[in-house]
Amino acid sequence: MKKIIVPGELVSSERKRPGDHVFLQNGRMYSDVLGILDDRPGEVSVVPLEGCYAPRRDDVIVGVISSEKATGYMVSLNSFTQSFVSKKDVREQMKPGFVISARVMDVNEMKEAELSQVRVFFGGEIISVSPVKIPRVIGKNASMLEVLKRGTNSTIMVGRNGWIWAKGGNMPLLISAIKKIEAEAHFENLTIKLQDFLALSNKSVRPQMPAMPAAQGGLRPQLGKIGDNKMNEDNAAMKPEAEALGKNGMQDDSDESDSNGY
Amino acid sequence: MISQFLDLKTDKVLQSIRDGKRLDGRKLDEYRPVSISKDVSVNAEGAARVRIGETDVIVGVKMLPMKPFPDSPNDGSLSVGAELLPIASPTFETGPPSEESIEIARVVDRGIRESKCIDFKSWGIVEEELAWNAFVDIYAINHDGNLFDASALAAIAALSDTKIPKLEDGKVVKGEFEGKLKLSRKPLLCTIAKIGNSLVADTTFAEERAQSARFSVAVTEDEYLSAFQKGGLGSFTASEIDSAIDMALKNSKDLRKAMKD
Amino acid sequence: MAIKKKEEKEKTEKKKSPKSEEKLEYVNKQGKRLDGRTVEETRPIKITVGVVPSADGSCYLEWGQNKVIAAVYGPRECLPKHTASPYKAVVRYTYRMATFSVPDRKNPRPGRRDVEISKVSAEAFEKAIFTEKFPNTAIDIFVEVLDSNAGTRIAALTTASVALADAGIPMRDLVAGVAVGRADGHIIVDLNKYEEDAPDAVDMPIAILPNSEEIVLLQMDGLFSKKEWQQARQLAFAAIKNVHALQKQALLKKYENSESAEKPEKTEKTNGSDVQ
Repeated sequence: MKKIIVPGELVSSERKRPGDHVFLQNGRMYSDVLGILDDRPGEVSVVPLEGCYAPRRDDVIVGVISSEKATGYMVSLNSFTQSFVSKKDVREQMKPGFVISARVMDVNEMKEAELSQVRVFFGGEIISVSPVKIPRVIGKNASMLEVLKRGTNSTIMVGRNGWIWAKGGNMPLLISAIKKIEAEAHFENLTIKLQDFLALSNKSVRPQMPAMPAAQGGLRPQLGKIGDNKMNEDNAAMKPEAEALGKNGMQDDSDESDSNGY
Repeated sequence: MISQFLDLKTDKVLQSIRDGKRLDGRKLDEYRPVSISKDVSVNAEGAARVRIGETDVIVGVKMLPMKPFPDSPNDGSLSVGAELLPIASPTFETGPPSEESIEIARVVDRGIRESKCIDFKSWGIVEEELAWNAFVDIYAINHDGNLFDASALAAIAALSDTKIPKLEDGKVVKGEFEGKLKLSRKPLLCTIAKIGNSLVADTTFAEERAQSARFSVAVTEDEYLSAFQKGGLGSFTASEIDSAIDMALKNSKDLRKAMKD
Repeated sequence: MAIKKKEEKEKTEKKKSPKSEEKLEYVNKQGKRLDGRTVEETRPIKITVGVVPSADGSCYLEWGQNKVIAAVYGPRECLPKHTASPYKAVVRYTYRMATFSVPDRKNPRPGRRDVEISKVSAEAFEKAIFTEKFPNTAIDIFVEVLDSNAGTRIAALTTASVALADAGIPMRDLVAGVAVGRADGHIIVDLNKYEEDAPDAVDMPIAILPNSEEIVLLQMDGLFSKKEWQQARQLAFAAIKNVHALQKQALLKKYENSESAEKPEKTEKTNGSDVQ
């Protein structure tokens, strides 16, 4: 089990760079949230277990159009403010209630994002999970996402903001599978557990796992770095909408890239 | 919760109900699991906490000796209040009671009062001077629909368990009690919603957003109806009301079972 | 409940309640208080995290007879807009007591005490929360007291702290506190209702950020000497360490096993009277 820490708890007394959710006080470093410790050689950070979404550049999100303005649309995306997409960046006419996926191009000091590369989705539904659990829903190399798609035959688009658009297939099963991931996100070997869970509920799933590295359990979460060569390779293999994960969240092992799916 | 997000869910609810199903798999006339607990507040003379699904309501009863009304010098009285705490939902705000909470309080009150389950004359203490007043206060702790039924059930559960404080010279002796409040009947509220053309019992928050109207009826164990309340902008036909009453009579039996445990 | 006629009532003698006549021994020769505690012990505390599904974070806490529920919504849009700050989140704390939480019925309308407690508590959390991270938003903390027996504002603060952590709101530290004071000349921790009514009673609620021991809430009712204040402060800080440990335990417990994430009905049973 990974180490869970509370706000105000000391995370390291070594000289390191304070990463996400770590602050310096009187020469020592503390966590500012309830989360999982990620202590690495050069940097220490905390991955929060709870919290709403804070937009980051390059994130792909799933949002809902909330209103139309003269030059663009306001989009709700499970954050504490809404974001904006310019009409110039959208091909079709949109209306409030439309579900979209989009990329975060820029974020200002007020945490309002400018969105682009918009796709509209029709039908289906939105499943909401805590944004910090999203990397687990995707999995290393999109492994978990594959397991979900095969196990339910649903079309799935995962937003880094915690909203997942899905359509078709065995929706109730997908929803319970996602809720299971959310509840057990801080445990090891989650992909295998989900495979078994889906196989049990749905005998047609064949346990086909993508190649996993040798060592599994007991490893600390490692964060992907943007610009890694391996990541670019994987990116090319994915559809254009699939985006690399930002530096965020809990993953199983290694620093591979993940796609948002679809 | 963003309203656009909820609107999407509302559409799902409407679609689902048209197919005769509910999002959580229940039948149209089925209640969510009900649980009642009593360990709420030592300072209350009576209290109960009711959970129906994720809806969570607490009711506390205070018995205070007060001066009776001049026109009924031997009678005690009942007063029901409700607060939809901002704790319970992002849609509730701080401030004086909203019209929503006032409606809930008054409907629960009516169900109890009109069933004649309390003999107010027996609550007199000293003629013209002192009589028992029961203050029933309802607090919503989590809103996932059907606050009406949860509040009424909690109110009756609390009243059934209410102790009468011991009096000495018209003053309450703290911590000492003499007997329990008697209810000759236990009226329970059952609310049926109209979603599309279907009648649905025990609505969740999302289902309430899809409903066009609701109808609450208070039912006693001897199958009398002690209150009606239609709410919402939509309407019911007479036969829909008949069906709703049948549904209520059936469902109240199950709610009563929960009280016994 | 028989009706007495008016004349009968006038015949009954007025008897004084025995309790108000005897002198209470608040701390006996064995160092035990009326309820058996030592001067340093707090009453038992039970904390459950995540009890209101609609809220972003929530907590239910029992502290002695006190029962409190807290819910946090936010950061969210700050309305009315003119109350928002472009530099930071606005922290709004609403402390209320249920009508049946007290022996006599409490008027449901908020009184001046409720307003004052809400204000000083919001100020305590302003210091703890990294409000600069969320400009133009509001962080709403709602606390409802369901049952009370002295020390409710501290119990409320302690509960709210856990609810904030449960909501994932970045903070410098949890806020933990205790009410200390004096009864019959003895400095004691966590007064109960009887002790609050002692003739020489002093009631001093104090809350700190445990790491730095910065005091974020401090109020006092009564007459204290400087020396007594220092004694009290020392006892308080020790007791607060315990309270803080219980808060942490409750938060960790939520993630202990997968079952706990579904319906956290489990309560954190602890004996809050251990002094470390």
